[in-house]
Amino acid sequence: MSEQISALMDDEIAVENAEFLITSIHVNKQASQTWNHYHLIGDAMRGDVALPSDFKQKLMQKIEQEPTVLAPSASQPSVNRTEMLKDKLPARWSIAASFAAVMVVGWMALQQQSQTDSPSAVIEVAEVSTTTNESIPAEYLTAHQSSAPSTSSYYIQSVNYSE
Amino acid sequence: MILTSRVVWAKFLAGITLFALCAMSLTGHASTDDELWIVLQKAAVAARALSYEGIFVCQTAQQSKSVQITHLFDGKNEFARNVVLDGATREVLSQGNNLIIYNQKNEKIVIEKRRGQNMFPAILPLNFDSIRDNYTLHSSTQERVADRQARVLFLEPKDRLRYSYKFWIDSEYGLLLKSVRFNQRSEIIESIGFNRLSLLNSIALDWFTPKIDSKKNYVMEDEPVILPDGKLSVTWEIKELPAGYRKVDQMVRMVPGKPYPIMHMIFSDGLASVSLFIEPTNKSGKTKVALVTTGSTSFYAGVNNGHLVTAVGEVPEATVVQIANAVVISK
Repeated sequence: MSEQISALMDDEIAVENAEFLITSIHVNKQASQTWNHYHLIGDAMRGDVALPSDFKQKLMQKIEQEPTVLAPSASQPSVNRTEMLKDKLPARWSIAASFAAVMVVGWMALQQQSQTDSPSAVIEVAEVSTTTNESIPAEYLTAHQSSAPSTSSYYIQSVNYSE
Repeated sequence: MILTSRVVWAKFLAGITLFALCAMSLTGHASTDDELWIVLQKAAVAARALSYEGIFVCQTAQQSKSVQITHLFDGKNEFARNVVLDGATREVLSQGNNLIIYNQKNEKIVIEKRRGQNMFPAILPLNFDSIRDNYTLHSSTQERVADRQARVLFLEPKDRLRYSYKFWIDSEYGLLLKSVRFNQRSEIIESIGFNRLSLLNSIALDWFTPKIDSKKNYVMEDEPVILPDGKLSVTWEIKELPAGYRKVDQMVRMVPGKPYPIMHMIFSDGLASVSLFIEPTNKSGKTKVALVTTGSTSFYAGVNNGHLVTAVGEVPEATVVQIANAVVISK
């Protein structure tokens, strides 16, 4: 049903052939909501949104009511929360909810991955900071290389030594 | 005709040297360990006594350069020309231990004179005493490098004061084909190896000349100012050097950017070198020390009894710290 509504909006189904669909949108409350939602989404994506004047205020209120996520681990219950909400919400929200769940799970997987990677990541950062922030003073390196050249210094000029 | 006979003579001399080394090994206790050291010593001799040309790649943590090498030993003298093929033009011409670097710096070519004896593939010294004291050697399987069969040897330090090496040595010529240096985390910090190698059949020296760019200005590098030893009003003593490191050179010099003369000493374990600098400082008391490692080079600076003591070299951090801390300054 939703797919057909979407197809009708995108002109993929000719209006003449959609008599049944249009009728069912009028009759079926869920279908008519889907129709409205799809149009709203379309408007939002095109940028011509007609939002109620108090929309921003209401949104900010809702955001303030949301619990603050302080630590990555605290986001874990939000999956359960989403699950709980899903039952109360109309069925069409389930796609959005499952998408959010995938995002959360994916993010958690990323978190875990980066946690296992963290020891080497720390070493890399430390190395970068020593090579970029601190460098060997050019005068000593030049004096050293001119009196006791290392093999590679014959072919590669040390970075510090450039004028 | 004369040229051909000189080639034969050169090869004969190289052969004699190699034979002498083999004979030495036979007269001694010919264990497998000794046999491996002979392979490595032969590589040190072959790099100097053979005539060859090829292209090798030198790679450090920062950069990678291809180098075209022509090396000739005419029975008496060694001649080599190294042309860096990537990036700014750079050519190194050497005769024995004297080398001249033609180094492009912006619109100028700076001519730099150096003394050196560890150019690739002659990175190993002829005297192995201190290497044998500080490293162990073991062999691995055969591998192919630059389309040649090579014997693989690992040179591992006996302590944590130096880096380890992996060498690929040509099974037929005895020449070092590739050398890789590892830090203590077994990461490659320097790799130099042939892509292509062939023996030279002529002893003509027509190639032994730099490629001159008539549009560029050629200038001599400012020679480092070396002063007589008595010019420095500091008495110091070197105590407890890290194992295997010995002083190989010492001079009082001017360093660009420093208004006063500086004591410069060089220490080596046979493969790696560390420079130690002692200079007066007006920073009194305890000043924070600096420790930096980039690629294979470590740097340490600290204040010692009113003097700034600095150590820099292609060694692990612990070695520069120990060498700097070996200095005892008396007022």
